Amino acid sequence: MSTDVMIYANDLTKNFGSFRAVDKINFEVRRGEVVGFLGPNGAGKSTTMRILTCFISPTGGTAKINGFDVFDDPLAVRESLGYLPQRAPLYLEMSVYEYLKFAADLRQLDDATFRKRARSVVEVCGLAQVLGKEIRHLSHGYRQRVGLGQALIHDPPILILDEPTSDLDPNEKAEFLDYIKQIGQERTVLLSTHNLSEVEIACARAIIVSKGRVVADGPLDEIRAKSGRVRYVVSVQESAGSTPYRGQGQPPKQAEVEAALGKINGVKKITELPTDERAHTYELSTDEGVDLRAELFQLIVQKGWVLLELHRDAQTLEDVFRHLTIGDARRNRTLDAGADEDEDEDEDEETEEETEESDDDSDAKDKD
Amino acid sequence: MATTEELRDDVHEADEAAEHEEEESDESNGKSKKELPATAQPKVFERKPGAGLRNILTITRREFKAYFDSIVAYVVVCLTLLIVGVWFFFFGFWQVDRASVSRLFDGVGSLPILLSFLVLPLLTMRALAEEKRSGTIELLITMPVKDSEVILGKFFAALGLTAVLLLCTLIYPIAMFMWPWHMGPLDWGPVTTSYLGLLLMGGAGIAVGMMFSSFTENQIVAFFITAAVLALLWFIGSIVEFVHGPVGDAISFVSFQTRFVPFSRGLIDTRAVIYFLSITIICLLAAFRSLESRKWS
Repeated sequence: MSTDVMIYANDLTKNFGSFRAVDKINFEVRRGEVVGFLGPNGAGKSTTMRILTCFISPTGGTAKINGFDVFDDPLAVRESLGYLPQRAPLYLEMSVYEYLKFAADLRQLDDATFRKRARSVVEVCGLAQVLGKEIRHLSHGYRQRVGLGQALIHDPPILILDEPTSDLDPNEKAEFLDYIKQIGQERTVLLSTHNLSEVEIACARAIIVSKGRVVADGPLDEIRAKSGRVRYVVSVQESAGSTPYRGQGQPPKQAEVEAALGKINGVKKITELPTDERAHTYELSTDEGVDLRAELFQLIVQKGWVLLELHRDAQTLEDVFRHLTIGDARRNRTLDAGADEDEDEDEDEETEEETEESDDDSDAKDKD
Repeated sequence: MATTEELRDDVHEADEAAEHEEEESDESNGKSKKELPATAQPKVFERKPGAGLRNILTITRREFKAYFDSIVAYVVVCLTLLIVGVWFFFFGFWQVDRASVSRLFDGVGSLPILLSFLVLPLLTMRALAEEKRSGTIELLITMPVKDSEVILGKFFAALGLTAVLLLCTLIYPIAMFMWPWHMGPLDWGPVTTSYLGLLLMGGAGIAVGMMFSSFTENQIVAFFITAAVLALLWFIGSIVEFVHGPVGDAISFVSFQTRFVPFSRGLIDTRAVIYFLSITIICLLAAFRSLESRKWS
């Protein structure tokens, strides 16, 4: 284990009664890395973070922070990290300044250091306007900023942030992620979220957990490439309504278009997407490394059709995430869990999407 | 003229003393280090000397201020002064017809009963229950503090407020016997021991309250259980007269009342002192264990 490894988890396991919240999680985070810790609700993200911050003890396995074991040296561990728990639970009756001072006192900062650090923290977290206000009068966004402020007050080498952006507005989020990226250059940041676009902005690497296990760990590109599929969307005009059809001859029939597209070399799968009667839209999937756009264009020109839309996208992180953690959502929806959990996981992702939102809510309750 | 040389010597001596102290603290750290297994990690963590005490003080200060930031402190102090005042003047002082404040420490509206029923449960109910409910405990515990420091910090804050409250009640004897009125010579001995007894009993009661507060996330539950237990511990002392034999002995052993009565008569009973201190320590340990148990649940 090199000294550069700031967060080290080895076979970390945590049981709550008969429920296994974290199941043999292994990962390492090095200095200068910003790592997104992803997973659906109830996947064990917060539990892992609580173990890493010595709030709870693991049932099995070891974890080291900054070279200190969470079991043997909890105080050393806590001293080397700044932690922002979910929903930033702060003392509501204290003012922002008092809270920062309190955190600094517990971290044994002397007055001069505190003043210096406080100035930069206030600037970074945008707390200047609310410094004298009681925390109870602040909005959730501001509370989260204060929470972040206390985590940064002692300039820790390691930051563990549990859903730090959940209550921020889009501007604040962007600012915050920029800042994380910036401080991540010489520090170690582990941040959990289920907002994937944030991970794409701030992190170079992601760890995806599902059902208490790590299902993916690596640079974002690698994770994205995991399923290795590329998608094309082609839309061809079918009818121009009252205006004259601008293509050659008659507008094409649906079957005609589908057959022609299906014949192109490299097309693995073709599905029609729902559209109105004026156009046909198809989704083609191919292997990675083949670019069909030129051929598609040629085909359509040759036939004399009117092309309304053509675009290609690699599978998004979101798709991968859904693909990897789909069992979780399914398990939560069926009462007799585990019975048919592993069946046809890859199919019907459409329905998953629709129910994802409502699912998240019930998950959160389950976890509490 | 005190030469600069002399000054320099002084500084030098002070430095030496400081060094000496550091050595000493190093030694005490060294002892605990030796207990670690020989397979110690390459990094060895050492806390800044005095960090523990400073943490306790920081937490105590915060908690003490929190009492005044919420209305708890004002409610407790005002209510107590009011009830004790009414009791002392209308049902006690004039009836006893003596230059005595013994009514402050005896009877329905007296200080020990108010402490048990109202003050201590109110001061301790939030201590850990509310922190657990609102989740603030997570931020507190993940700071570099020990669980024991959290418990002690909160304990001293409550004890401090109890002391403030007791100081406030001193206005009654002072007003009656020193200024503005002089109702006669007051024997301050029993008053002093009574206050000492109240403080000791208060400490034990706070520990009991913190223990129950650490068992639940609901501060109302913590309040009622603490009040019930403290009231029970007080009032079983009243039936001692009617119960004889080993049962009676046992009751008079555990009752706060029988332990407190000697103090109100001007007697510092070492057995009572030790009893109250033991209760304090045992209950604080229980609270500590309960706080620690979050790790394993």
